[in-house]
Amino acid sequence: MAYLLAKLPVGLIELYAVSLWIGGLVNLSYPLWWGAFRNHPPGARLSPVPVFTPFGWFGEGTFRVATLPGTFAAAAAGAAMLLAAPWVTRAVTSADAWLIRGLLGPGRLAQRVHNLELSRALAVDDSAALLRRLERNLHDGAQIRLATLAMNLGMAREKLGDGGEVPDAAAVRELVDAALRGAKEALGELRSLARGIHPPVLDNGLADALASLAADSATPVELEVSIPVRPTPAIETIAYFCAAELLANAAKHSFANKIAIRAAGQRDVLLLSVADDGAGGADPARGTGLSGLAQRAAVVDGRLTIASPPGGPTKITVELPLRA
Amino acid sequence: MNARVVIAEDSALFRAGLARLIEDHGHRVCAAVGDGGALLAAVAEHQPDIVVADIRMPPTHTDEGLRAALEIRRQHPRTGVLVLSQYIETKYTARLLEGNAAGAGYLLKERVADVAEFADALERVAAGGTALDPEVVGQLLRASRRADGLAALTARERHVLALMAEGRSNAGIADALVKDPEHLRQARAAPGRGRQPPRPRGPALPGLVAPLAPNCIDGTSMQLQILA
Repeated sequence: MAYLLAKLPVGLIELYAVSLWIGGLVNLSYPLWWGAFRNHPPGARLSPVPVFTPFGWFGEGTFRVATLPGTFAAAAAGAAMLLAAPWVTRAVTSADAWLIRGLLGPGRLAQRVHNLELSRALAVDDSAALLRRLERNLHDGAQIRLATLAMNLGMAREKLGDGGEVPDAAAVRELVDAALRGAKEALGELRSLARGIHPPVLDNGLADALASLAADSATPVELEVSIPVRPTPAIETIAYFCAAELLANAAKHSFANKIAIRAAGQRDVLLLSVADDGAGGADPARGTGLSGLAQRAAVVDGRLTIASPPGGPTKITVELPLRA
Repeated sequence: MNARVVIAEDSALFRAGLARLIEDHGHRVCAAVGDGGALLAAVAEHQPDIVVADIRMPPTHTDEGLRAALEIRRQHPRTGVLVLSQYIETKYTARLLEGNAAGAGYLLKERVADVAEFADALERVAAGGTALDPEVVGQLLRASRRADGLAALTARERHVLALMAEGRSNAGIADALVKDPEHLRQARAAPGRGRQPPRPRGPALPGLVAPLAPNCIDGTSMQLQILA
């Protein structure tokens, strides 16, 4: 609608540009056809011929010529119009193009669609990568441990024989011990894997889950949670994994003595921050951890803000909507 | 039999257990390595009777063990290749057995728990025979279920065929049939069944595995023809 309104004056100027081309050509041709058509006997009264100028075509004030030398003046005016025409045309068409881009081009809605497409692609990639990592962990962890365990038990069973004396009881004991060790390790691995998929404590809410994270941390953690309205499970999960990763980062890279986790619900936004008094210099460009978190937050229109000057302190804030 | 063995497996724990199992059965482990490249080098150095290789190993954790195994089958045709994996993929079976099933085997890793059977499979492959996991055979049978030849078989015949396809000897098949309680139950419930006139047999597992039935009768180890 705005474009249609703006188009009216622009269209008139465009028409003017076209008239410059046509009028210029016509004026330029005056001397040619003057000789051909104006060869009447002397004394005949002829009405003067109008000359198209940029300032007006007809009526009072129109420039008219009645003699052959006059046509040269008309031709000169035509040449000047033709020279000016490309400039005017270009100026007016680029103004029109600018209006089209500005008023008809991708607006805020289109930008939103584009952003959603990006974040959806990220979400799909993220879940595919997650499944691959899970399979890899199972394959290289619990599965191979259980296969080894079964092999140890198989060997022990073979050494036990079919009854009576056991010739090599020590070897059997050693194999059974190894199998037992393997079973415990496989259990431990499965437990941590299952917890990594979905920490059961998260079912009780983010406050409990964060408290459990804080309790597990080797570096002392000061926790402050005030979430009056419970976020949706998806948001809680994202917030939890962000907190877990940021906590692990702080413990691993920053040499911090103290870490502070704050989670606050403000109207329809959940603000989660992890701050430490460590070395600082956290950079999403190095390593995939922080950029991965930013991507994960972006999937639900969240944001990750990093304040980490070299020398510290570091404060990383994750802003998430309460419902996804 | 006293075979010389090279092991390739990236899990150190499983590798050590496997080496122990193999040595307990009187074979010699010449080398135990952790990736495909090291496997090829070890085979070139030791010229073993058999290679036991994990399919998925570093660096890509996809199928480097299988690729190394195929390379070994090309370069050292007298070295048997037994690949182990945590999954059975029909595609891998086809690649491994393409053209020739002699001296090749494909077993699930967990089969090592049946120590005696695993040792048997190892010796068979080292001697130029075949060892296919029941899971592999099951997939092949399922894949060719629509084929007429298979439909003509009784359940028991199909069971025997599956055991044959695993690469077992006649003695091994008899052993498995006797041990199988399901077979015993069937045999007791229908004692006359074995005396029924034999049904006509079409080509079994067309397109995939064609067991040569006569070999099964004369007591030699059964052979498989893999039709590529």
